[in-house]
Amino acid sequence: MKEKKYSIKKDFTLLALLLIPIAVAINFAGGQLASLLKLPLYLDTIGTIFVAMLCGPWVGGLAGLITNLVLGIANPIYIPFAIVNVAVGLVTGYLARKGMFANWWKWIISMVIMALASIITAAPIVVLMFGGITSSGTSLITATLMATGAGIWGAVISTELVFTVLDRIISFGITYLILRVVPERTLIKFSLGAAYIKTKKTAETVEEVTEADEDVDNL
Amino acid sequence: MWQEKLRIKKSNPIHGLYPFTKMWITLLYCICAMILSTITIDGYPVYMMASFLIIPVLAAATGVLKKISGVIKSIAIISLFIVLIQGILIKSDLILYSLNVFNLFNINFYTDSLQYGLVLAFSVLNMGCMVAWFFGATDNKELINAFEKRGMGPKASYVLLSTLQMIGVLQKSAKTIMSAQQARGVETEGNVFVRSKAFIPSMIPLILGSITNTEERVLTLESKGFLVKGEKTRLFDVKPNGKEPIALTIGILYAVAILIWRILLWVL
Amino acid sequence: MGVVIEFKNVTYTYPLTTEPAIKDINLSIEEGKFYGVIGENGSGKTTFCNVIRGFAPSFYKGELKGDVLINGLATTDYEEGQLALTIGYVFQNPFNQISGVKETVFEEVAFGLENFGVPVDEIERRVIDIMELTDITHLAEKNPFELSGGQQQRAALASIIVLEPDILVIDEPTSQLDPEGTESVFKIIAAMKKAKKTIILVEHKVDLIAEYADEILVFEKGHIIKRGITQDVLSDMSLLEHGVQLPQMARVGSELIKRGVKLDYIPVTTKQATEQLQQLLGKESK
Ligand SMILES: Nc1ncnc2c1ncn2[C@@H]1O[C@H](COP(=O)(O)OP(=O)(O)O)[C@@H](O)[C@H]1O
Ligand SMILES: [Mg+2]
Repeated sequence: MKEKKYSIKKDFTLLALLLIPIAVAINFAGGQLASLLKLPLYLDTIGTIFVAMLCGPWVGGLAGLITNLVLGIANPIYIPFAIVNVAVGLVTGYLARKGMFANWWKWIISMVIMALASIITAAPIVVLMFGGITSSGTSLITATLMATGAGIWGAVISTELVFTVLDRIISFGITYLILRVVPERTLIKFSLGAAYIKTKKTAETVEEVTEADEDVDNL
Repeated sequence: MWQEKLRIKKSNPIHGLYPFTKMWITLLYCICAMILSTITIDGYPVYMMASFLIIPVLAAATGVLKKISGVIKSIAIISLFIVLIQGILIKSDLILYSLNVFNLFNINFYTDSLQYGLVLAFSVLNMGCMVAWFFGATDNKELINAFEKRGMGPKASYVLLSTLQMIGVLQKSAKTIMSAQQARGVETEGNVFVRSKAFIPSMIPLILGSITNTEERVLTLESKGFLVKGEKTRLFDVKPNGKEPIALTIGILYAVAILIWRILLWVL
Repeated sequence: MGVVIEFKNVTYTYPLTTEPAIKDINLSIEEGKFYGVIGENGSGKTTFCNVIRGFAPSFYKGELKGDVLINGLATTDYEEGQLALTIGYVFQNPFNQISGVKETVFEEVAFGLENFGVPVDEIERRVIDIMELTDITHLAEKNPFELSGGQQQRAALASIIVLEPDILVIDEPTSQLDPEGTESVFKIIAAMKKAKKTIILVEHKVDLIAEYADEILVFEKGHIIKRGITQDVLSDMSLLEHGVQLPQMARVGSELIKRGVKLDYIPVTTKQATEQLQQLLGKESK
């Protein structure tokens, strides 16, 4: 019964669909920013996280998929990593549905889960397809670890672990900033948007937050 | 007359192939590259490496070599690193070559790892560059139109098209913003934190604005009948140029020849 | 003449708000008539349009009480999307009325017809005609994003009119345009009036409304505080106290009457004013 409240078809309202290009654009801008500033991060899932938090896992996953397909038109290397971006969307959306962004400790748990999902999907691609190399500067660290005797899996996973967690914290932070300033009358139109209105008003006490959290489930 | 006018004209016969034909050719080529990777001389995937030469030739014949040369270069660099990392950092029994650095230490190239690295690198190079050729030779609009005719829904095609258009606009405006900021002396140089501090505040209103626009866009689309039931028509229509059977035949012959070769090597 | 839109005790409240944006509206819109909608900012005009088109509540959510009937069927009972066939809706902001997937104005105008599934040859014919009517033929090959505000609004009108809806709802189409752009938009609206469309036009420029509208609806705080024949409504000076702008001619006319000049009625359009003036001058010279 509980699962039936959400249908994939209902998730894909016209508004949710139209948010996807924006999510992709945000991902794109974040990625550009990261490479422009020569950060050892990708920052290319901010839009995916944003749309997944508002519209749920399916829309989030689709935004992730389209992001990497579009990036892949310019450079096909991005295409296999679509799985990672899809995972980000699916996991974030699912966590959002479960009210896992309602207070600070849930945020932290969510970030860890998200980073894990990214690593589980990314590491096999990096190791098996690209022999440990990615286009980001973090590859140098992976290489150093390998040179000091770490196995390729260990080197890739530990590098990814550090930078993915960092990436997620920053991405969540930016998403949170954006969500805070989206007008309530806009938030209300998204399937999960109501949760952020409630938390906005009642964030003072944890009890009330959990209440809002239940409301998400009751939608 | 407008339908004719909107068509993307391509005089080059390969360039003008129907998107799906190019897609099949890409797929066949990638499969062949994988098959070739299993045919080795002294353990080196020589044939697969040699087959890569097909791509620049094909790209030149299609008239897109210049367009995709940048991508080819960046994939080549990654591939080079794959070979180096694998060959040097993954230790195996046999040392192919040992480079002595200032009598301080040796850099060893391990034979097995190098061979495996070459397989990986040339898989990435072959597939990556062939896909790059495909996208270089196919307009997004054509591809989406072809998919639509094969039953992709109008919502999906709308999302793809508007994403592509938005990215295009974004790239253009990012350039103008950057040059405008530089002109005004806003920090685009300097350390990471200074630069991000200048960037992020200017991003948020932009994002908010586009979300608000989305709301109005929804109503606009509805007003223009986007959700009206029934079959939609399309002014833009991608058509085959007639050379598809020839192109496909060549592709299939190549694939079959390689497959037979592979099987013969097994059987004999 | 038949009734095409009917409001029965309609009250609509946006989500997250307590005060209804339109209250207790009872109204019949008759086929082929031109209704001008005026009132202060925030008085509920746009909401009124959204309720007609069914966007409130389908898109805006919130609470709709009473019935809004379009050709006898409640907006909430229409299948999703189908109201586009009956009602054409042009919005205030010209910049957001672009589909975002078309590279030329021609294709942009054709977008709705593609959605309706009209055959390609017919699309071409209709788009060419409408671009002629809306004076954008010379822009056909331009990118819609590169048009000026006035051009975009004309393109927006064209892409709705080309769908040939029976009812046109137009919300402040000229608020962001210069006088020249305003004039060209009004020319198009006048052509639609000639084509016997039912038109509901929200517009602050009362002088123009006075020229074209058959009837006027005046909104204040969500209520319709006055309605009737254009002549009667726009010559009612008491509306000035409700923050409603009235035509220049009407204000001058009423001032003249106050000062003892004998006019037959308060003119609301330039044409009426000239007529009266001529009459007056005629009397004088006798
Ligand atoms: N999406 C919305 N959510 C909540 N309130 C709204 C929304 N849109 C408009 N309102 C409010 O409804 C009232 C009527 O607004 P509107 O119909 O836009 O007036 P008008 O078009 O006459 O300027 C105003 O008080 C406005 O603040
Ligand atoms: Mg308004």
